[in-house]
Amino acid sequence: MSDPGRGEERELVERAKRDPREFGALYDRHFQQIYRFVYSRVREQTAAEDVTSEVFIKALKAMPRYQDTGRPFAAWLYQIAVNAIADRYRSLRPSQPLDDFHDLSVSGPAIDEQAAQRDEIRRIWAIVEELPVQQRMALVLKFQEDMKIEDIAVAMGKTAGAVKLLIHRGVTRLRDEAGALRPVE
Amino acid sequence: MSGQHLDPELNDVLQDPELLRLAGMLSQAQTPAPPLDDAFKSALRRQLMDVAWRSAEGRDSWWRLWLSPPRLSWVGAAAVVVLIASVVIYTAALPPGGFNEVIIQSPQQDQSAVALRQPILVSFNQPMDHPSTEKAVQITPSTSVTFAWNGDAQMYIQPVSGDLAPNTQYKVTIGPGALTKSQQPLSTPTTITFVTTQSTPAPPQVSPTPRVITSLLTNQQQLATIPSAASSSPLWSPDSTTVYYVGPGGAFVSVPAKGGSPATLVAAGVSLPAIDPAGGKLAYVSAGKIEILSLTAKTSDEITPASAPTTLQWVGETLYFGTNDGVYSSGDTVVRRATIQSDQAVSVISISPDGLTAVYQSPSSLFLLDIAGGGNTQLGGSGAAGTFQGWSPNGQRVVYGNVIADLHGKTVYKLPDGDVTWSAQNVILLGSDTGVFSIRPDGTDLTKLADGTFHAPAWAPDSSTFVYVRGNTLWAATAPPAKQLPSPTVQASVVVIAFMRARQDDEPDKARGYLDDSGHAAYGSGNPALIPNGDLQFKRFYILVAEVDPSSTNTVRVVVRMVFGKNKQERAAVEETLIVQRALATDPFLIDGVSASAQRDLGKGPEVVSVKVTDTEVVVTFDSDLLPNSVGGVILQDSTGAAVQVTPVYSDRNVTFSGLQLTAGVHYRLVVQPSVQDVGNRHPDAEYDLDLVGPAPEPTSGGSLPPPAPSPSPAPASSPVPSPTPT
Repeated sequence: MSDPGRGEERELVERAKRDPREFGALYDRHFQQIYRFVYSRVREQTAAEDVTSEVFIKALKAMPRYQDTGRPFAAWLYQIAVNAIADRYRSLRPSQPLDDFHDLSVSGPAIDEQAAQRDEIRRIWAIVEELPVQQRMALVLKFQEDMKIEDIAVAMGKTAGAVKLLIHRGVTRLRDEAGALRPVE
Repeated sequence: MSGQHLDPELNDVLQDPELLRLAGMLSQAQTPAPPLDDAFKSALRRQLMDVAWRSAEGRDSWWRLWLSPPRLSWVGAAAVVVLIASVVIYTAALPPGGFNEVIIQSPQQDQSAVALRQPILVSFNQPMDHPSTEKAVQITPSTSVTFAWNGDAQMYIQPVSGDLAPNTQYKVTIGPGALTKSQQPLSTPTTITFVTTQSTPAPPQVSPTPRVITSLLTNQQQLATIPSAASSSPLWSPDSTTVYYVGPGGAFVSVPAKGGSPATLVAAGVSLPAIDPAGGKLAYVSAGKIEILSLTAKTSDEITPASAPTTLQWVGETLYFGTNDGVYSSGDTVVRRATIQSDQAVSVISISPDGLTAVYQSPSSLFLLDIAGGGNTQLGGSGAAGTFQGWSPNGQRVVYGNVIADLHGKTVYKLPDGDVTWSAQNVILLGSDTGVFSIRPDGTDLTKLADGTFHAPAWAPDSSTFVYVRGNTLWAATAPPAKQLPSPTVQASVVVIAFMRARQDDEPDKARGYLDDSGHAAYGSGNPALIPNGDLQFKRFYILVAEVDPSSTNTVRVVVRMVFGKNKQERAAVEETLIVQRALATDPFLIDGVSASAQRDLGKGPEVVSVKVTDTEVVVTFDSDLLPNSVGGVILQDSTGAAVQVTPVYSDRNVTFSGLQLTAGVHYRLVVQPSVQDVGNRHPDAEYDLDLVGPAPEPTSGGSLPPPAPSPSPAPASSPVPSPTPT
């Protein structure tokens, strides 16, 4: 994950650790990405609002215990979000069709190729949603949230090696299950 | 596409070109922005800041602890005290919150029943710049407003259309664009949230707490001294002028109801006296025979029944009497009307005023006897013998053990304790050792009339005066006139409000008490749920429309909107159409059926918040100010789906269809199309439909409009009635 403002963020985090009233700046900075991530997992606005509220309230209350390990502050928020989503939806799967979410505007290929490629991407993401939960979460954080493996490890409470394994297994399984897919020439 | 992924981390992890190609495709998916309610974002920030401030205050107390005298020398402590005192003096001179923070407050904040005729008041803790502050105001639902200021720290927001919209949650946000006079912006937006009350007067209180300062009775007076254990209740003459009672030795005595000297009509031996409806004949039992006296002609007749009579009842000109084996009538000849089939020792103890039903009892139990059909029904359980208390004037209801039951023995309503008398105007008196109350048979209008001892009350036929027994004295008193009954829609709405409050308060047993058998079945299916238990909280409800079924004044159709949300955010609504019924006008309304709409998201555009229907006019009230040229999207359809050809008129959030000729009982549909637009340029997400029925005239006055219910509001505390009667 690229984060050019790491120095500035560290300063915000330190201030919020000293005085919780400074947490607002961190909220303003990270609300959008956490909400978007949560929404992508629960796909229902009300549920997304509930989980997002839970994430930030937990984060605020845990700020005094937060320790900067050199990873982005967002990785920690993602960790809280991943756990909150798991707690809430342990036995539930989002019911909203996938198309509503990953409708995927594709850039690059000529117009007549875009539809086919869009279909292919949609099919792959549909398979992602059927992967085991840990593989699925690793792929979502990697490819949707564009996070670094070290940061995903923080978010998922695993080692970087374990995350690499999850990603490898997940993509391999995608390849196996999407056997009919061929590169768009 | 190249097999090399742009992210070098993945080249290391995946290596295989096909895997990298798939990874590349996964990375290409661009997630669209999810739907986001800005109000949620700002509300969550505010919530976090509240938590943060409380947390910070906790830290301050740690500092107080640290700086306490045991930790420092007394000299240091004194210095701290001086320092704190200086700060206190300094901060006391500052406005609340100090000059560094703009604090915004409103008396309407978080109120749940804000009156409609008032501006929205916003107070600031420091002088504000008017233009930027006014520009920073956002109101949901979309409302055109004007601003007025009281100085620089109080702003009044007045809807252009006059009143606030009824049944509406308002969210007034002062955005960060608002500047103080010193050009300091707000640090965070502040939202003031409140809910308005209904547009019509509040319904009558469900069960006013019985409270009396002085007696409501008039003309209380002693009429006569009677035996301490009178064998029967006093009787009234049909014209309500004379009271009869059985005196010492079985003498039959009359006394004027307004007081006067008693007159003995029969010297001795009278029991079970009965006076005919015309007031000309007295029947009584003496020495096992029935004597019939003509009070006008001064003649007498005598019947010798095979079994000793146990009760007498005039039905028109015909005298009915009960014995230990059945019911008989006496005209030219004695006719056996019904036979009791029982292997127990039984006796008939009362015959209904219409002569169709009797009550008999065994040593332990009480039974209804269908005189024409011969069937019988047990009243209550074993042990009910001796609890019979009387009949409704029409003979359709029987009272025993303070239970009002129908002729199938089914409980209709459980009265509070007391001796019962039921007037021709359907007011019940409940007398006891400590007072007398009046109450409607459906449990409404419980009123304490007076303190004192009021045994064996008996209404006069005129329903204004009653007699009662206190010690060994017969008294008379005049009760206050009965209150006018509210209209059936109001009565039904009161029941619906109580039912909805029980659901809202998570009291399923209480809620079930407002359901009849069909209602039990309807909610027993779980759809709709009796106690809503989704992710969203059941925040409030209000009655959108209530209409009497044109085919029966005892059936009312009530559409209730249930609003769901989280914290202060109202997010969705469901409408339940309730069929509220009663068998007789004196019975309590119960909910007989329900149909529920699909859940709709709120905050998507203008919402209908009230509908008033008469046979000539339909007034539809919206929560938002509409663009007048879009109200053509509000359509009234007849039962064929064709638009009623009346052009609606828009004014002050109301869309009015006038000059209608709605047919009673015919179905109509109000349609709000997505083309309807509010002044904030928002449209409904989808078409909104509300089914209506052409109304019938209300049978009684007292308010033809339904009483929409604000909620939450406190339910009457510990009222003895009307608790729902289990069915």
